[in-house]
Formats: sequence, C-alpha cells, structure tokens
Amino acid sequence: MTNSIPEIRDVDFLFVIGSNTSEAHPIIAMEMKLAVARGATLVVADPRAIWMTEIAEKHLQLKPGTDVWLLNAMAHVIVEEDLTDQAFVEAHTEGFGDVRRTVAKYTPEEAERVTGVSAEEIRWAARRYATTDKAGIYYTLGITEHSHGTDNVYALANLVLMTGHLGRRSTGLNPLRGQNNVQGANDAGATPVFYPGYQRVDDPEVQAKYEESWGVELRPEPGLNLNEMMKAVGKEIFGLFVMGEDVLLSEPNVLRLEKALNANEFLVMQDVFINETARFADVIFPATVFAEKDGVFVNSERRVQRVRKAVDPPGKARADWKILIDLAKACGTTWSFDGPGEIYAEMVRDAPKFAGISYERLENEVNHGYTGLQWPCATPEDPGSEYLHKGGVLRGKGLFTSVDYRPSMELPDEEYGLLLSTGRTLYHYNSATQTRREPGLIAKQPEAFVEIHPSDARKRGIEDGDRVEIRTRRGAVQAQAILSRQVRPRCIWTPLHFSEARANVLTNDAGDTVTGTAEYKVCAAEVSRVEGGAEGEHFPGSFYRESGPPR
Amino acid sequence: MSEQPRITLGGSAVVFEPGETLLDVARRNGVEIPTLCHDPRLKPAGACRTCLVEIEGWQRLAPACATRAQAGMVVASENERIDRHRKSLLALYMTDHPQTDERAETGTPNQLLAMAEAFAAPSDWGRLPQKRAGRPEDRNPYIHYEAETCILCARCTRYCDEIESVSAITLAGRGSETTISTADELSLLDTTCEMCGGCIDVCPTGAMSEKMPLALEARPDRALGKVRTTCNYCGVGCQLDLNVDRAGEGGRGRIVKVTSPEPGTTSNDGNLCVKGRFAYEFVHHGDRLTKPLVRGKDGELRETSWEDALQVAAEGLMGVRERHGADGLGFVSSSRCTVEENYLVQKLARVVFGTNNVHQCAAT
Repeated sequence: MTNSIPEIRDVDFLFVIGSNTSEAHPIIAMEMKLAVARGATLVVADPRAIWMTEIAEKHLQLKPGTDVWLLNAMAHVIVEEDLTDQAFVEAHTEGFGDVRRTVAKYTPEEAERVTGVSAEEIRWAARRYATTDKAGIYYTLGITEHSHGTDNVYALANLVLMTGHLGRRSTGLNPLRGQNNVQGANDAGATPVFYPGYQRVDDPEVQAKYEESWGVELRPEPGLNLNEMMKAVGKEIFGLFVMGEDVLLSEPNVLRLEKALNANEFLVMQDVFINETARFADVIFPATVFAEKDGVFVNSERRVQRVRKAVDPPGKARADWKILIDLAKACGTTWSFDGPGEIYAEMVRDAPKFAGISYERLENEVNHGYTGLQWPCATPEDPGSEYLHKGGVLRGKGLFTSVDYRPSMELPDEEYGLLLSTGRTLYHYNSATQTRREPGLIAKQPEAFVEIHPSDARKRGIEDGDRVEIRTRRGAVQAQAILSRQVRPRCIWTPLHFSEARANVLTNDAGDTVTGTAEYKVCAAEVSRVEGGAEGEHFPGSFYRESGPPR
Repeated sequence: MSEQPRITLGGSAVVFEPGETLLDVARRNGVEIPTLCHDPRLKPAGACRTCLVEIEGWQRLAPACATRAQAGMVVASENERIDRHRKSLLALYMTDHPQTDERAETGTPNQLLAMAEAFAAPSDWGRLPQKRAGRPEDRNPYIHYEAETCILCARCTRYCDEIESVSAITLAGRGSETTISTADELSLLDTTCEMCGGCIDVCPTGAMSEKMPLALEARPDRALGKVRTTCNYCGVGCQLDLNVDRAGEGGRGRIVKVTSPEPGTTSNDGNLCVKGRFAYEFVHHGDRLTKPLVRGKDGELRETSWEDALQVAAEGLMGVRERHGADGLGFVSSSRCTVEENYLVQKLARVVFGTNNVHQCAAT
C-alpha cells in the first residue's frame, strides 16, 4: 500500500477493484465503511455483487478478466476530457505519450461491449476519480490473479500517475496483502530475484555486498518463481523444501502437480498439521503457530509489528526459526543466533530500507500515532513512512506503462460454457487447516459451495442446495449449489478452502507473464447436478441467494 | 493569525480544536471524566449520563461526551453538585444490576461496579425486578448475552451499526423490558451478524462476553496473562491480545480468549474480525504435529527423534544437489511465517545450497 490503513477513513473517493474487502480484509472494510458514512463515494468494480456494493454509489459489474478494458477506457475519458494533472505528469512522470496513444482506441462505448459496464458509468467513474482530490484505489487478487495481472496493475498505475493521485495522505494505489506476512516474506528476500529489502540478485554491487556478509560465493542468475518451480517438479526440480504451505491445495492445476511429485526424489515439509502435501513428504518437521514464537510480521501498509510467544509448542514441536538453524547446522554450517531479534538485526544490517528498525524500537516507540514501524525507515531516528512517494516519486520519475487488453487464457466455449472464478470467504482462510478446526466457523460455513446464477442453474436443472459437479479441462470436484444473483449470468464462483473439493483441481496454471501468478480468477467450467448426491449442509445466516434471508 | 479558541476546564485555560467535545478536550488534557456509554469510535450518544459536567451559565448539567467545546466556556468536571448527581445515578443503575461481579472469572471487568465503588455510590436503594429477556437458546458459537448485567448503554448496537455496519443487534422492547435483541429473536448465527465480536469488546459491564472461557471453566485462581501480538490471518496485521491461562494445557498455556487493544493505539483501532477474535482453537487442536516424522523404506511415515529427522533431511537435500545440481532444489518459504524465518529460508537456499530457487505463496 502506498498509504496507511488509518488514512482510509479520510478518503473522499474510494475505487475498490478486484477486492472482496469485507470478507478478505474485514478491518480495512471497516475503515471504508467509516469513510462512506462520513460522505465519501465508494465505487466497486467486481464481477460479483459483493457486500461492499451495498454501500457503494455504483457497482461496475464487469465481466471477469476485462479489467484492462475498463481501466484503459477510464484513462481514455480522463485524457479526452482533459482531466489529467498536467503539472504532476510533467514534473514526476515519464512515458505518458505512449499511454495517451494507446488509450485513444479504448472508447467507453467499445468498453461497454467488452466489459458489460455501461459507457455512461465508465465516464462517471473516470470523472469522479480524476476530479476528487483525495482519491484512493484499493485492489487485491481480483486484479493480480490473471495471466495479465501485471497489465492490470500497470493500467491502475497509469490512472494514478495521469491524475497525480500519489504522494499524499489518503491518496494513492493500495494493493491489500492477502496473508499476514506476504509483505514480510518478500521483504526478507524469500523471492527468486531479490535479496532482503528488494535488492536484485543480478546487481553486481549487491551480490558483492552479500558475498562479503555471508562469506560465500553467490549466484547472479534469478531463480524460479513458485509457479515455475511447481511446473519444473520432476523435470528440473527433484528436491523440495516446503515450509508452511500446502502446495497441493493452494497451487493451480494440482492434479498435474500431484503426478509430477511422483517423480520428485525428496521432499522436506515443515508445518503444523498433516496436509495434502504430506502424502509426498520424506521428512516432516513439527513446527509452531504464531502464538508459540517470537518474530515480526509486516502488514499491507508496510508496518513491521511484533509477534510474541504466548504459549509453548505442543509436544516436541519447535519454533520454525529454530528448526531452520538446526537444519543449517545438520548441513554443516555453524549458524548461531540467540533468537529472532538477532536474526532480524542481521537482516536489516544489509537492507537499507529497514535499517532503522529494531526490536527495541518496536517495543518502546509509538510513531505517527501507532505502534509498529513502517518502512522505508533508514535510520534509528527515522519515524518511518506513513505513505510513499512524498514530495516526488521514489524511483525519480513515475513510469507510465502502456498496456493492451489480452483475453484470459481459457474462456468459456461450447464444451465448458461457464466462467469460473475462485476466491476466499470471511469464515475460512486459504487452505483452511486452521479455520476448519474451529467449530464456530464450521457452523457458519460447513462445506464447499458454488455460486451459480439462477438462469444458468435452471438451464441445467439445478436447484438451490443441490449437490453438483464442477468440471474443467483439468479435473472435477463436487460442491453444494447456491443459487445466487451475486454472480453474473454465465459466471460461477467457488471458494478455495475445502480440501475435499479442491478448487485448484479446476484452476488453470497459466501464469502471469511477469510474476508467474496463476490465473485463479478465470477458467472455463461446466456444472451438472449429481444424481442422488448427499444432502447439503445448512449454511445459516446471510447468503445472498435467491431464497433465504436477506442480507 | 487568530488565536486558538480556549475553554476553562477545572480552573485552567485549555485550547481546543473546533469540533472537539468537552470529553475530548478533558481526556487530551489528562482530566478524568467517567463514562460508560462512550467509545471514541462511536458517535456520542449521551445516554449513560455519567460524564455530566457543569458549564457556567447553563442551568442543567451537560454530558461531556455530546457537548462540543465553545470558546469561552467555563467547565467544571468535579464539584459537589456533580458528585451528588453521579452518586444518585450510579445508585439507580445498581438497583437494576447484580451487586457482585459474577463474570469476573472470565476476565471481563465490570466498569459499572468499579465506578460505583470508586464514587462510593449508595448500594441500599433496593432491587428492581429483572425484566429484560436474553436469548439463552442462541446457538451461535461465540457470543453470550447476559441480560441481567446489561445497562442498555447501546455501545454494542451502535458498534454493530456504525463500525461493522451489519445491524444484526438492536435495542428491542420498551420500558423496563428493553433489551438487546436480534430480528425475530433469531440466533446470531442466522442473522446478518458476521461475528466480529465488537459487541463484546465495547461492552462496559461484560453483559456481552465470549462463550469460550465459560466452556473452559476458566477459574479466578488462574489469572489470565495478556500477550500483545499480531493476528496470523490476513494482511491487515491487526494487533490483538491473547489472553492466556498459563497453567492450562498441563502448563503449556491455554488461550482462552482474544481481546482488542485500546482504540486509537494500533492501526486496527481496536477492531477485529471473526477470525482474529475467535479462530484460535487450532492452536490447541489434537491434530497438531508434535513429533518429527520420517518416511521409512516401507513408505510409511514414522515418528523419530529430532536428531534423526534433521540428519535425514540434510542428507536427502544434499543428495539431490549432488545428483541434479543446486538448481535441482526448490525452496518454498511461507508468507504465514515470520520475517526472520523467511530470511533464514532464503539464506539456507542461497548460502547452504547455492540456489536462488526460493519463493513463497505471495504469488498465490
């Protein structure tokens, strides 16, 4: 996020795209609700009529995967009606000419045909965004989990740059991080291209610095990203170390991965529960959950915050950091750290973005009104950064990147007539190893379901609560049909949480061309009623379905 | 330059920002004014009347929480009249309230009882019959409502409307039968409630409380320790306090509930969602892995010692490197784990095994 969470309540125009905020980031949604109650305008662009649309001024219900069309058409309107921030564009950006030329052909009328959002609404949204001083964009995996996810982000960034909505409080571009420490894991260098602090492995100066620090020769070629790694299993990759992730639930097209794992030679897994991946593990280390160890997480707003041990691990389970040190020692090193504080100190020593952050400061200081420290934070006196790009874009000039629409890799056809998107719900979390061991959450959301529009259900003889089979070219799973007007006609939606109905048996492992992020949001699917299927579990409460209680 | 407006509070002149209430000004200046229905996140309700102050020239006492500061006001927050009024008010509250804090064992302090004691309110004004209905049959798994302890300050219903915006609970009934209820007295499970538990967090008397500590029969002789930490679910990074019965689970410690930090001190402003506040049972679940496992030649996983498991893992990974080179290995780190652990995994991959094939689920 370029901005901070507490700044959201002061935003005057919120553009939420590809984020089911009230379910995936409930506390950020609370801030948005406060802004709306204060009089802010909320616009939600999402293929589903999610809860946030109830308090939105407008819901732009675009067809999945057509974001570039929608965003370029908004840019088209802003250019056409001369609503750009000329002074900002000239002082702080480069490459606007390209974008201006590209978006010329993305007329709102043509966009209406492709996206399903009316030209009038596109014009309205573009004008309001461009002309509101405090305008913030909020997005998450609905933008990135596409084969053109990076293009989507560029298209958003272009809107930000041409309107100068950057470098100020309550005004910016805000990806909401999906997991507790996605930000921190990237910050720490658990990526194939970066050392800690986003320092490239192929930068010779950086390489030299780490070679000196770590006392070994290092490789300048970037490694494989997760998507590539999983595709390379059994071909180039024959040994895996997997910590805290159930790859066989969370990776796309898991049946292909399952086959590949048979050709893998050795797999070490470090986790807190037996999961799907465990079937292929040669060694399993019993690890710890957040409440059993010390450390830090970094949240969406780049805030470094302490994690503190509250209870002891069960049995012989060990803190993950201890296991990693023990494993390094078993491999012949002499690693020695007296605790997470010392590990953190080693990390920030070579990472200028975090150099001013220490456990001591996290323990004792309040900066900008809150606990925790937001990077960049260069020195021990630096109070950290509430928002980025203050007084000018960080890289010097904000770079416009012209993008053209590319259709999703697999769209509905005669054989598979529906478009399947997957996602997360309020009551479960990712592979649900934690939340499906929580009786209250199971009571609220007991089993896998698929939302299907009543018109599509009728054509297939499906009634609300029926057991159905969802099929794609890669596999099939069963779930309970929820007839819902929350989804667009010819679109279906299913959550990823249920191991007995793994949504990722269905999904396409086509990756984004830059990041490798898989296309979890779009693939072609078909649904049919399972004759004599098991009676569906009851979902109490507030489903947005055709029959049933109103929300 | 115009001078910042001032009021006189307890004899001293203090400045205020336009829009601030007398309570805001007082708290900013360290002047104690008691409140029950106030929460900084909610619009002023002026309902409980415990924050009444005297303003020169005003005939009646005014609620500090709902009265905006105006330049030149002369305000007293403590004097004989206010004290007399407050004692009577608290005594009246106590005629409709249990005299002892029966729920203290769940670690929920009762602010009304504490206040009545602090201001020495009379406790001999008799008892009114209890007419408020609860929902004892509500099968929702998390939130318990004890009607007798409720003082109808409506913090819970206002939180549900103004902050969580789901309006699942409301003030229902009239007169002495007024209570907190749901539409058609449904279980919270069947309403729009998203079980954020904000109603528990804002309740000043513990009328709204967690069901879990009750189920665990947390006992008063086991004082709860509080550990401030960061939530382990989504990327908002809410700060929360794990309340731990340290003697629980055979000395390992048992999390019995989660409470919020003071509003305004952390970037989640004291708010939590259903997962952050309630979904911690996995920590103590019997399915947890407790011993290292190694797969034997027969293909079965078997319990073993740490020493053995580490040895087998190290040899296995190094064996792959020998056969296929360093890039024959892949390291999947975790955005669920700490920064330090992610740092160690990438260091392990790069330094010990010599590959940049290290990534985590950020992409997924």
